[in-house]
Amino acid sequence: MKTLKRKALLLGFVGCLILSLLAITGCGRPDAADDTVTGDEVPAESVLRVALQTNPNTIEPATGDTRTASNVAWSIFNSLVWLNDEGVIVPALAESWTLSEDGLVYTFKLRQDVVFHNGYPFTADDVVFTWERGRGSGITYRESFLAVAEMVKIDNYTVEARVEAPNAFVLPLMNEHWGILSKQYHEEVGEEGYLKHPIGTGPFKFVEWLAGDRIVLEAFEDYWEEGYPKVDRLIYRPIPDTATRFAALINDDIDIVSNLGPEQADAIETAENVSLVTYGQDRVFYVAFNNMSTGIGTPIEDKLVRQAMSYAIDYDAIIERLFDGNAERISGFIIPGNLGFDPSITPYPYDPARAKELLAEAGYPDGFTIQMAGPAATYTNFEQVLQAVVGYWAEIGIQVELEFMESGKYWELQANRELPPLFGDSWSAGTGEAYPRLIGSVGGEDASYAAWLDPVLVEMIREVEKTADSVERGKVYTRIMQYMHENPPFIYLYAPTAFEAINNRVKNYNPRISEQYFLKGVSIE
Amino acid sequence: MLRYLLSRLISSAALLLGVLFLVFMLLHLTGDPVSLMVSRYASPEDIEALREELGFNRPLLVQFGDFLSGAFQGDFGSSFRYRQPAMDLVLQRIPATIELASVALLMAILMGVTIGILGGSNPNTILDSIARGIGLLGQTIPTFWLGLILIIIFSLRLGWFPSFGRETFTFLGLTLPDQSIVLPAFALSLFTTGQLARFTRSAVMEVMNEDYVTTARSKGLKKKRIYFKYILKNSAIPLISIIGVQFSYLLSGSIYIETIFSWPGLGSLLAEAVGTRDFFLVQATAFFTSLVVIGLHLLTDLVYVLVDPRIRYR
Repeated sequence: MKTLKRKALLLGFVGCLILSLLAITGCGRPDAADDTVTGDEVPAESVLRVALQTNPNTIEPATGDTRTASNVAWSIFNSLVWLNDEGVIVPALAESWTLSEDGLVYTFKLRQDVVFHNGYPFTADDVVFTWERGRGSGITYRESFLAVAEMVKIDNYTVEARVEAPNAFVLPLMNEHWGILSKQYHEEVGEEGYLKHPIGTGPFKFVEWLAGDRIVLEAFEDYWEEGYPKVDRLIYRPIPDTATRFAALINDDIDIVSNLGPEQADAIETAENVSLVTYGQDRVFYVAFNNMSTGIGTPIEDKLVRQAMSYAIDYDAIIERLFDGNAERISGFIIPGNLGFDPSITPYPYDPARAKELLAEAGYPDGFTIQMAGPAATYTNFEQVLQAVVGYWAEIGIQVELEFMESGKYWELQANRELPPLFGDSWSAGTGEAYPRLIGSVGGEDASYAAWLDPVLVEMIREVEKTADSVERGKVYTRIMQYMHENPPFIYLYAPTAFEAINNRVKNYNPRISEQYFLKGVSIE
Repeated sequence: MLRYLLSRLISSAALLLGVLFLVFMLLHLTGDPVSLMVSRYASPEDIEALREELGFNRPLLVQFGDFLSGAFQGDFGSSFRYRQPAMDLVLQRIPATIELASVALLMAILMGVTIGILGGSNPNTILDSIARGIGLLGQTIPTFWLGLILIIIFSLRLGWFPSFGRETFTFLGLTLPDQSIVLPAFALSLFTTGQLARFTRSAVMEVMNEDYVTTARSKGLKKKRIYFKYILKNSAIPLISIIGVQFSYLLSGSIYIETIFSWPGLGSLLAEAVGTRDFFLVQATAFFTSLVVIGLHLLTDLVYVLVDPRIRYR
């Protein structure tokens, strides 16, 4: 009797297991396309499929915490102004603007023909609301909104942005992070609801977001820019693994991939259906000197020592051996493509003899010992780069104790100014000007990640902020570049080459050196 | 039986608590995530204010206590990055992981048990050597390497399967994966296949030498009957525990496989959450996977009593 019961129980258990497995797994693909829940079955010519290297945290410009996230966000949103491909700020949702003589009041005239994706009209209230919300705690790019002290609605289609002191970066910051939100929709769904189902005025409207799987957008039929967008549907697919991204492109599963490595770039050159897109990134890799905390009292406070350390490194050998030549030498934080770049200022050459001379002149003929840190597994081959640099310094007698740390911990220590006197990192810019990395890294006491304080430099950066005219601002940048070359607060290592690839059917894809791209003008043939 | 069940439940709860504590402490050893949550241009005061607001400046034990009391009420905190409740994010990813684990387990059972039986019932033959070879290979091939090789052969060269992602269709109101599941499930199943093959092989060999099999043979029973009634049935008993344990391993989500194939399951979520130090998300994922692992182990032990008459719980 007991055995029977046992058998029945066992049979029941196995039966349940099999049934549940069957229910979950299914057994093949049906012919009818209507049964498909996902959106890949619309006619292929109107769908653009883009691989993302990370999962966006949000797809809204003020909270999206990576370039990947903001690239998706700008398909859905517009700002008041836009930085065009030539690096000039042009009208977007604001059809025109004026700046008062004292440089403190921007008056924007808004477009009157714009609606949000759900049909709500776009008005001055939405601009004021976006500014208010952007100032809240927990907004990633809060500083962009704090740059404007007051935002006033004049009438339904006029707003005034008031600043406390003239600031040349108000418009670039708006371009970078001010995606205009619908006030009315935000009131209806709340912050969490808005981020889950974002509504903007941009070329594409939100359809669905399957976590970790895909983000589907479709062309917004009432988009205010005539003739855009060029495709009916836009599908973003997060593919974190570089090799898989490459395979997906070759296999025709994806149309645009970014963040490839040099090894994939070589393979792509021989593939038939795809083309390689390369450009120098607006990102500098460097070793920072610290004179604000741990480096106080060490030899690196001496300009000659820093120059000597700059001369001691064979940069070309590093670029050739570790990057197959796929990186550019740099002569400072202002690189080709940045406003004010001066080609006559050339990178430090590899000159160990000169390095030893300078070191002796500074009073360290036998070198010295110092500590250095680097982030682990964060940037391509960066650990090897730092190890090579340490090797070169050893040849002129400088012994460096190098330590690698998990990146999160590393940046926390960097923000607390607790890293050793030397540390490696990288900094991008994004706006076509070097200002963001200058203010962030040498901008004075208030800059969280600054480790070097030089009042002369801080003063020049303040001058950049106040100079609204871009030609004049360029001249200030050139002076900064000259100064930072003679008094290096960093060892300038290299700017990496970006590798992207597209299917040959994709036309008009123009990524910028900041790895930013806009897809409204991209078409599929 | 009831007493046994009760004591197992209590020890399981203690184990779960231990795992959560360990995960919590390890996470906090890496510092707090505030510096990753603000832009690089935030002032030190802003960073400190946010740290205060999120409670990261309190003693660790107080923070752990807070987390536990929240967890008891089903509140695992909000993901910093995604700005959504952490458990919601975990729950969104569970179906994809269950699908992958179930198909992988099914593949492993079919392949592993077949190979094991073939090897075990023909000891010291070529068939046996092949079975042992496959068993060893399955357990030693690095899965990330295998994943890439599968993509190269079956999607790039042969074009049989998509190279990444999860595609689904609806059948009788159920959302089911299509052939996109084959490559990741196969890659995931190989370790379990190897283990099942080795265990089945030795179980079959062991049972074949048992007295009751010899008796059955000497009584002149048909070979087929001896095989199915005596050998296979008795060899299956130890496999149940292996399958239970392996299923919990598969279900906890494979970080490598899911990342390589961009499979939107728990493994890829965990990899991302750790990388971005999304503390509450890591904790919610850890809670769920430990619950599954501990629960399945308990269930396996209970099923044992149903199939093995020698075992009684008191």
